[in-house]
Amino acid sequence: MDSDRRGQWLRGVLDICVLALLRERESYGYQLAQALDAAGVGPIQGGTLYPVLLRLQRTGLVTARWREGSAGPARKYYRLTDDGHAALRQGGSDWLTFVAPVNDIVTKGVAG
Amino acid sequence: MNSDDWLRAFAAELHQRRVGADAARHVVAEAATHLREGGGDPWVVFGPPRQYAGVIVESIGTAPGPRPGPVRLHAQGITKRYGRRTVLRDATLTVRAGQIAAVIGANGCGKSTFLRICAGLISPDDGAVTVSGRLGYCPQSGGTADFLLADEHFVLVGAGQGMARGPARRAGRVAARQLGWEAGGDVLARHLSGGTRQKLNLTMSTLSDPDVLLLDEPYQGFDQGTYVNFWDQLSRLRDAGKAIVVVTHLLNQLDRVDTVLDLTPAQPSGWLAPGAQGGHP
Repeated sequence: MDSDRRGQWLRGVLDICVLALLRERESYGYQLAQALDAAGVGPIQGGTLYPVLLRLQRTGLVTARWREGSAGPARKYYRLTDDGHAALRQGGSDWLTFVAPVNDIVTKGVAG
Repeated sequence: MNSDDWLRAFAAELHQRRVGADAARHVVAEAATHLREGGGDPWVVFGPPRQYAGVIVESIGTAPGPRPGPVRLHAQGITKRYGRRTVLRDATLTVRAGQIAAVIGANGCGKSTFLRICAGLISPDDGAVTVSGRLGYCPQSGGTADFLLADEHFVLVGAGQGMARGPARRAGRVAARQLGWEAGGDVLARHLSGGTRQKLNLTMSTLSDPDVLLLDEPYQGFDQGTYVNFWDQLSRLRDAGKAIVVVTHLLNQLDRVDTVLDLTPAQPSGWLAPGAQGGHP
Protein backbone atom coordinates (compact mmCIF):
# COMPACT_ATOMS: atom_id res chain seq x y z
CA MET A 1 0.00 0.00 0.00
CA ASP A 2 1.18 3.53 -0.73
CA SER A 3 2.59 4.50 2.63
CA ASP A 4 2.07 8.25 2.14
CA ARG A 5 -1.61 7.68 1.44
CA ARG A 6 -1.96 5.27 4.36
CA GLY A 7 -0.35 7.89 6.58
CA GLN A 8 -2.85 10.51 5.47
CA TRP A 9 -5.81 8.22 6.11
CA LEU A 10 -4.44 7.30 9.53
CA ARG A 11 -4.01 10.92 10.52
CA GLY A 12 -7.73 11.41 10.00
CA VAL A 13 -8.94 8.44 11.98
CA LEU A 14 -6.24 7.20 14.37
CA ASP A 15 -7.65 9.15 17.32
CA ILE A 16 -11.05 7.54 16.79
CA CYS A 17 -9.44 4.07 16.56
CA VAL A 18 -7.57 4.72 19.82
CA LEU A 19 -10.73 5.89 21.56
CA ALA A 20 -12.56 2.82 20.32
CA LEU A 21 -9.85 0.47 21.60
CA LEU A 22 -9.79 2.25 24.96
CA ARG A 23 -13.53 1.82 25.29
CA GLU A 24 -12.93 -1.87 25.85
CA ARG A 25 -10.24 -1.51 28.50
CA GLU A 26 -7.53 0.84 29.66
CA SER A 27 -4.27 0.31 27.82
CA TYR A 28 -0.77 1.65 27.17
CA GLY A 29 0.94 2.83 24.00
CA TYR A 30 2.77 -0.29 23.00
CA GLN A 31 -0.27 -2.48 23.59
CA LEU A 32 -2.45 -0.14 21.53
CA ALA A 33 0.05 -0.27 18.67
CA GLN A 34 0.00 -4.06 18.79
CA ALA A 35 -3.79 -4.16 18.87
CA LEU A 36 -4.02 -1.87 15.83
CA ASP A 37 -1.49 -4.03 13.99
CA ALA A 38 -3.29 -7.22 14.95
CA ALA A 39 -6.59 -5.77 13.73
CA GLY A 40 -4.99 -5.31 10.30
CA VAL A 41 -4.47 -1.53 10.38
CA GLY A 42 -0.74 -2.22 10.01
CA PRO A 43 2.23 -1.15 12.10
CA ILE A 44 1.86 2.18 13.90
CA GLN A 45 5.12 3.79 14.96
CA GLY A 46 5.48 5.32 18.40
CA GLY A 47 6.20 8.67 16.76
CA THR A 48 2.69 8.60 15.28
CA LEU A 49 0.82 7.09 18.21
CA TYR A 50 2.06 9.00 21.28
CA PRO A 51 1.35 12.50 19.97
CA VAL A 52 -2.24 11.35 19.38
CA LEU A 53 -2.46 9.98 22.93
CA LEU A 54 -1.00 13.18 24.36
CA ARG A 55 -3.49 15.29 22.44
CA LEU A 56 -6.37 13.13 23.67
CA GLN A 57 -5.05 13.53 27.19
CA ARG A 58 -4.66 17.28 26.86
CA THR A 59 -8.20 17.68 25.57
CA GLY A 60 -9.55 15.57 28.42
CA LEU A 61 -10.82 12.65 26.30
CA VAL A 62 -8.53 10.23 28.14
CA THR A 63 -6.80 10.24 31.50
CA ALA A 64 -3.44 8.63 32.16
CA ARG A 65 -1.62 7.16 35.09
CA TRP A 66 1.64 5.30 35.58
CA ARG A 67 1.36 1.78 36.87
CA GLU A 68 4.02 -0.79 37.66
CA GLY A 69 3.57 -3.98 35.66
CA SER A 70 3.72 -7.35 37.43
CA ALA A 71 6.89 -7.82 35.40
CA GLY A 72 8.75 -5.27 33.36
CA PRO A 73 8.78 -1.48 33.45
CA ALA A 74 6.13 0.94 34.67
CA ARG A 75 3.72 1.85 31.91
CA LYS A 76 1.51 4.82 31.27
CA TYR A 77 -2.05 3.53 31.07
CA TYR A 78 -4.74 5.51 29.29
CA ARG A 79 -8.43 5.35 30.13
CA LEU A 80 -11.47 6.84 28.41
CA THR A 81 -13.28 9.69 30.19
CA ASP A 82 -16.96 10.54 29.85
CA ASP A 83 -16.01 13.21 27.34
CA GLY A 84 -13.98 10.55 25.55
CA HIS A 85 -17.03 8.29 25.30
CA ALA A 86 -19.06 11.16 23.86
CA ALA A 87 -16.30 12.07 21.41
CA LEU A 88 -16.07 8.45 20.32
CA ARG A 89 -19.81 8.24 19.66
CA GLN A 90 -19.83 11.49 17.71
CA GLY A 91 -16.54 11.05 15.86
CA GLY A 92 -17.24 7.40 15.18
CA SER A 93 -20.62 7.99 13.61
CA ASP A 94 -19.21 10.93 11.63
CA TRP A 95 -16.57 8.60 10.26
CA LEU A 96 -19.10 5.94 9.30
CA THR A 97 -21.28 8.57 7.63
CA PHE A 98 -18.21 9.65 5.67
CA VAL A 99 -16.87 6.24 4.61
CA ALA A 100 -20.20 4.66 3.63
CA PRO A 101 -20.65 6.73 0.44
CA VAL A 102 -16.90 6.64 -0.20
CA ASN A 103 -17.02 2.85 -0.09
CA ASP A 104 -20.01 2.82 -2.45
CA ILE A 105 -18.25 4.99 -4.98
CA VAL A 106 -14.95 3.16 -4.75
CA THR A 107 -16.58 -0.27 -4.83
CA LYS A 108 -18.40 0.59 -8.05
CA GLY A 109 -15.22 2.01 -9.52
CA VAL A 110 -13.14 -1.02 -8.66
CA ALA A 111 -15.81 -3.48 -9.86
CA GLY A 112 -16.33 -1.68 -13.13
CA MET B 1 23.34 6.55 18.25
CA ASN B 2 21.79 3.96 20.58
CA SER B 3 18.49 4.26 22.46
CA ASP B 4 20.04 5.96 25.48
CA ASP B 5 21.72 8.54 23.28
CA TRP B 6 18.51 9.14 21.41
CA LEU B 7 16.55 9.55 24.66
CA ARG B 8 19.17 11.90 26.03
CA ALA B 9 19.06 14.01 22.86
CA PHE B 10 15.26 13.96 22.91
CA ALA B 11 15.16 15.08 26.56
CA ALA B 12 17.57 17.89 25.71
CA GLU B 13 15.39 19.01 22.79
CA LEU B 14 12.30 19.08 25.02
CA HIS B 15 14.18 21.04 27.62
CA GLN B 16 15.40 23.51 25.03
CA ARG B 17 11.82 24.06 23.90
CA ARG B 18 10.89 24.77 27.51
CA VAL B 19 8.59 21.83 27.95
CA GLY B 20 7.83 21.65 31.67
CA ALA B 21 10.21 19.37 33.56
CA ASP B 22 7.50 16.96 34.74
CA ALA B 23 5.77 16.76 31.36
CA ALA B 24 9.13 16.12 29.67
CA ARG B 25 9.98 13.42 32.18
CA HIS B 26 6.72 11.58 31.42
CA VAL B 27 7.18 11.79 27.66
CA VAL B 28 10.78 10.58 27.81
CA ALA B 29 9.88 7.75 30.19
CA GLU B 30 7.02 6.68 27.95
CA ALA B 31 9.30 6.62 24.91
CA ALA B 32 11.89 4.64 26.88
CA THR B 33 9.26 2.10 27.94
CA HIS B 34 8.06 1.76 24.36
CA LEU B 35 11.59 1.14 23.09
CA ARG B 36 12.24 -1.41 25.82
CA GLU B 37 9.08 -3.33 25.01
CA GLY B 38 9.05 -3.08 21.25
CA GLY B 39 12.71 -2.73 20.46
CA GLY B 40 13.47 -1.04 17.17
CA ASP B 41 15.59 1.88 16.15
CA PRO B 42 14.36 5.06 17.84
CA TRP B 43 15.16 6.97 14.64
CA VAL B 44 12.58 4.80 12.85
CA VAL B 45 10.10 4.44 15.71
CA PHE B 46 10.06 8.12 16.69
CA GLY B 47 12.17 9.90 14.08
CA PRO B 48 14.95 12.39 14.73
CA PRO B 49 14.91 13.68 18.35
CA ARG B 50 14.55 17.29 17.23
CA GLN B 51 11.62 16.56 14.96
CA TYR B 52 9.82 14.38 17.49
CA ALA B 53 10.31 17.01 20.19
CA GLY B 54 8.64 19.50 17.84
CA VAL B 55 5.67 17.15 17.39
CA ILE B 56 5.40 16.69 21.15
CA VAL B 57 5.37 20.43 21.71
CA GLU B 58 2.51 20.70 19.21
CA SER B 59 0.63 18.02 21.14
CA ILE B 60 1.11 19.20 24.70
CA GLY B 61 2.32 22.76 24.35
CA THR B 62 5.13 24.24 26.39
CA ALA B 63 5.03 25.34 29.96
CA PRO B 64 5.95 28.98 29.63
CA GLY B 65 9.10 28.78 31.67
CA PRO B 66 9.40 31.51 34.23
CA ARG B 67 11.16 34.43 32.66
CA PRO B 68 14.68 34.98 33.92
CA GLY B 69 14.47 37.13 37.00
CA PRO B 70 16.91 39.54 38.58
CA VAL B 71 20.67 39.05 38.32
CA ARG B 72 21.77 36.68 41.08
CA LEU B 73 25.41 36.28 40.25
CA HIS B 74 27.67 38.67 38.44
CA ALA B 75 31.35 37.84 38.02
CA GLN B 76 33.19 40.67 36.30
CA GLY B 77 36.68 40.56 34.84
CA ILE B 78 37.87 37.68 37.02
CA THR B 79 41.64 37.17 36.77
CA LYS B 80 43.62 34.68 38.81
CA ARG B 81 47.34 33.93 38.77
CA TYR B 82 49.27 31.17 40.50
CA GLY B 83 52.85 32.40 40.51
CA ARG B 84 53.61 33.41 36.95
CA ARG B 85 50.86 31.26 35.49
CA THR B 86 47.61 33.03 34.68
CA VAL B 87 44.76 30.58 35.25
CA LEU B 88 41.92 32.95 34.51
CA ARG B 89 42.00 36.14 32.53
CA ASP B 90 39.13 38.58 32.52
CA ALA B 91 36.36 35.99 32.83
CA THR B 92 32.88 37.45 33.05
CA LEU B 93 29.57 35.75 33.72
CA THR B 94 26.09 36.97 34.56
CA VAL B 95 23.39 34.57 35.74
CA ARG B 96 19.83 35.53 36.53
CA ALA B 97 17.22 33.80 38.64
CA GLY B 98 15.72 30.98 36.57
CA GLN B 99 18.79 30.40 34.43
CA ILE B 100 21.35 27.63 34.10
CA ALA B 101 24.86 28.66 33.08
CA ALA B 102 27.52 26.16 32.02
CA VAL B 103 31.20 26.82 32.56
CA ILE B 104 33.12 24.74 30.04
CA GLY B 105 36.65 24.28 28.80
CA ALA B 106 39.51 21.82 28.67
CA ASN B 107 41.05 20.33 31.81
CA GLY B 108 43.17 22.85 33.67
CA CYS B 109 41.61 25.92 32.09
CA GLY B 110 40.42 27.20 35.46
CA LYS B 111 36.80 26.06 35.60
CA SER B 112 36.92 24.92 39.23
CA THR B 113 39.00 27.93 40.20
CA PHE B 114 36.39 30.19 38.66
CA LEU B 115 33.63 28.44 40.59
CA ARG B 116 35.57 28.63 43.86
CA ILE B 117 36.03 32.33 43.30
CA CYS B 118 32.28 32.66 42.71
CA ALA B 119 31.71 30.75 45.96
CA GLY B 120 34.02 33.14 47.80
CA LEU B 121 36.41 30.34 48.76
CA ILE B 122 39.39 31.99 47.08
CA SER B 123 40.01 35.57 46.04
CA PRO B 124 40.64 36.72 42.49
CA ASP B 125 43.70 38.84 41.69
CA ASP B 126 41.46 41.09 39.72
CA GLY B 127 37.76 41.48 39.19
CA ALA B 128 34.81 41.09 41.51
CA VAL B 129 31.90 38.75 42.19
CA THR B 130 28.52 40.01 43.27
CA VAL B 131 26.03 37.51 44.64
CA SER B 132 22.48 38.40 45.53
CA GLY B 133 20.87 35.90 47.89
CA ARG B 134 21.88 32.69 49.57
CA LEU B 135 24.62 30.57 48.03
CA GLY B 136 24.87 26.79 47.69
CA TYR B 137 28.10 25.13 46.59
CA CYS B 138 28.65 21.52 45.53
CA PRO B 139 32.36 20.72 45.27
CA GLN B 140 33.76 18.21 42.81
CA SER B 141 34.85 15.90 45.59
CA GLY B 142 34.92 15.92 49.34
CA GLY B 143 32.18 17.68 51.22
CA THR B 144 30.88 14.51 52.84
CA ALA B 145 31.89 13.05 56.19
CA ASP B 146 33.13 9.45 55.93
CA PHE B 147 31.71 8.20 59.21
CA LEU B 148 28.23 9.71 58.99
CA LEU B 149 25.07 8.30 57.42
CA ALA B 150 23.27 10.24 54.68
CA ASP B 151 20.52 11.03 57.20
CA GLU B 152 23.08 12.49 59.60
CA HIS B 153 24.38 14.75 56.84
CA PHE B 154 20.85 16.05 56.33
CA VAL B 155 20.43 16.66 60.06
CA LEU B 156 23.73 18.52 60.09
CA VAL B 157 22.73 20.80 57.22
CA GLY B 158 19.32 21.28 58.81
CA ALA B 159 20.87 22.22 62.15
CA GLY B 160 22.68 25.04 60.38
CA GLN B 161 19.27 26.46 59.54
CA GLY B 162 17.69 25.80 62.90
CA MET B 163 15.75 22.84 61.54
CA ALA B 164 14.72 19.93 63.81
CA ARG B 165 16.15 16.47 63.14
CA GLY B 166 12.94 14.88 61.80
CA PRO B 167 12.03 17.52 59.24
CA ALA B 168 15.69 17.83 58.15
CA ARG B 169 15.90 14.10 57.57
CA ARG B 170 12.65 14.06 55.63
CA ALA B 171 13.65 17.05 53.47
CA GLY B 172 16.95 15.33 52.67
CA ARG B 173 15.29 12.07 51.67
CA VAL B 174 12.77 13.87 49.46
CA ALA B 175 15.53 15.84 47.73
CA ALA B 176 17.58 12.65 47.27
CA ARG B 177 14.62 10.82 45.76
CA GLN B 178 14.46 13.44 43.03
CA LEU B 179 17.90 12.24 41.99
CA GLY B 180 16.66 8.67 41.92
CA TRP B 181 18.28 7.80 45.21
CA GLU B 182 16.70 6.32 48.34
CA ALA B 183 18.88 7.91 51.01
CA GLY B 184 17.40 6.35 54.14
CA GLY B 185 19.84 3.44 54.37
CA ASP B 186 22.29 2.63 57.15
CA VAL B 187 25.41 2.93 54.99
CA LEU B 188 28.23 5.21 56.08
CA ALA B 189 29.20 7.86 53.55
CA ARG B 190 32.60 6.25 53.05
CA HIS B 191 30.92 3.05 51.88
CA LEU B 192 28.68 4.78 49.34
CA SER B 193 29.70 4.51 45.69
CA GLY B 194 31.39 7.58 44.24
CA GLY B 195 28.24 8.40 42.30
CA THR B 196 25.99 8.16 45.32
CA ARG B 197 28.37 10.32 47.36
CA GLN B 198 28.02 12.91 44.61
CA LYS B 199 24.26 12.68 44.93
CA LEU B 200 24.61 13.24 48.65
CA ASN B 201 26.72 16.29 47.94
CA LEU B 202 24.26 17.64 45.42
CA THR B 203 21.34 16.93 47.74
CA MET B 204 23.01 18.83 50.57
CA SER B 205 23.77 21.81 48.38
CA THR B 206 20.07 22.17 47.55
CA LEU B 207 18.80 21.69 51.11
CA SER B 208 19.54 25.20 52.32
CA ASP B 209 17.20 26.46 49.56
CA PRO B 210 19.90 28.57 47.94
CA ASP B 211 19.19 31.34 45.43
CA VAL B 212 22.46 30.65 43.66
CA LEU B 213 23.65 27.08 43.18
CA LEU B 214 27.25 26.39 42.15
CA LEU B 215 27.88 22.82 40.97
CA ASP B 216 31.35 21.55 40.14
CA GLU B 217 31.04 18.60 37.70
CA PRO B 218 28.21 17.20 39.79
CA TYR B 219 27.46 14.31 37.43
CA GLN B 220 30.99 12.93 37.53
CA GLY B 221 30.81 9.35 38.65
CA PHE B 222 27.02 9.36 38.58
CA ASP B 223 25.68 5.89 37.77
CA GLN B 224 24.66 5.10 34.25
CA GLY B 225 21.14 6.14 33.54
CA THR B 226 20.75 8.76 36.22
CA TYR B 227 21.54 11.67 33.91
CA VAL B 228 17.84 12.17 33.26
CA ASN B 229 17.18 12.55 36.96
CA PHE B 230 20.04 14.97 37.35
CA TRP B 231 18.97 17.26 34.52
CA ASP B 232 15.34 16.94 35.55
CA GLN B 233 16.30 18.09 38.99
CA LEU B 234 18.31 20.95 37.51
CA SER B 235 15.38 22.00 35.33
CA ARG B 236 13.11 21.87 38.34
CA LEU B 237 15.45 24.06 40.34
CA ARG B 238 15.74 26.47 37.43
CA ASP B 239 11.97 26.63 37.08
CA ALA B 240 11.80 27.34 40.82
CA GLY B 241 13.84 30.46 40.12
CA LYS B 242 17.32 29.36 41.15
CA ALA B 243 20.36 30.75 39.39
CA ILE B 244 22.54 27.73 38.61
CA VAL B 245 26.17 27.52 37.49
CA VAL B 246 27.39 24.08 36.37
CA VAL B 247 31.00 23.31 35.62
CA THR B 248 30.97 20.65 32.92
CA HIS B 249 33.09 19.26 30.12
CA LEU B 250 30.37 17.27 28.35
CA LEU B 251 29.39 19.27 25.30
CA ASN B 252 26.20 17.35 24.51
CA GLN B 253 24.73 18.57 27.77
CA LEU B 254 25.09 22.18 26.73
CA ASP B 255 21.73 21.94 25.05
CA ARG B 256 20.10 22.10 28.42
CA VAL B 257 21.66 25.34 29.60
CA ASP B 258 20.72 28.95 29.01
CA THR B 259 24.16 30.46 28.81
CA VAL B 260 27.74 29.28 28.38
CA LEU B 261 31.07 30.57 29.62
CA ASP B 262 33.91 28.96 27.65
CA LEU B 263 37.19 29.23 29.52
CA THR B 264 39.23 27.46 26.85
CA PRO B 265 42.18 29.69 25.96
CA ALA B 266 41.65 31.32 22.58
CA GLN B 267 42.70 29.24 19.59
CA PRO B 268 43.51 30.36 16.04
CA SER B 269 40.01 29.54 14.85
CA GLY B 270 38.15 29.14 18.08
CA TRP B 271 34.75 27.53 18.20
CA LEU B 272 32.41 29.65 20.22
CA ALA B 273 29.41 28.08 21.88
CA PRO B 274 26.04 29.69 21.15
CA GLY B 275 25.28 32.24 23.80
CA ALA B 276 28.88 32.26 24.96
CA GLN B 277 29.72 35.12 27.25
CA GLY B 278 33.44 35.08 26.67
CA GLY B 279 36.25 34.16 29.03
CA HIS B 280 39.82 34.30 27.91
CA PRO B 281 40.41 37.01 25.33
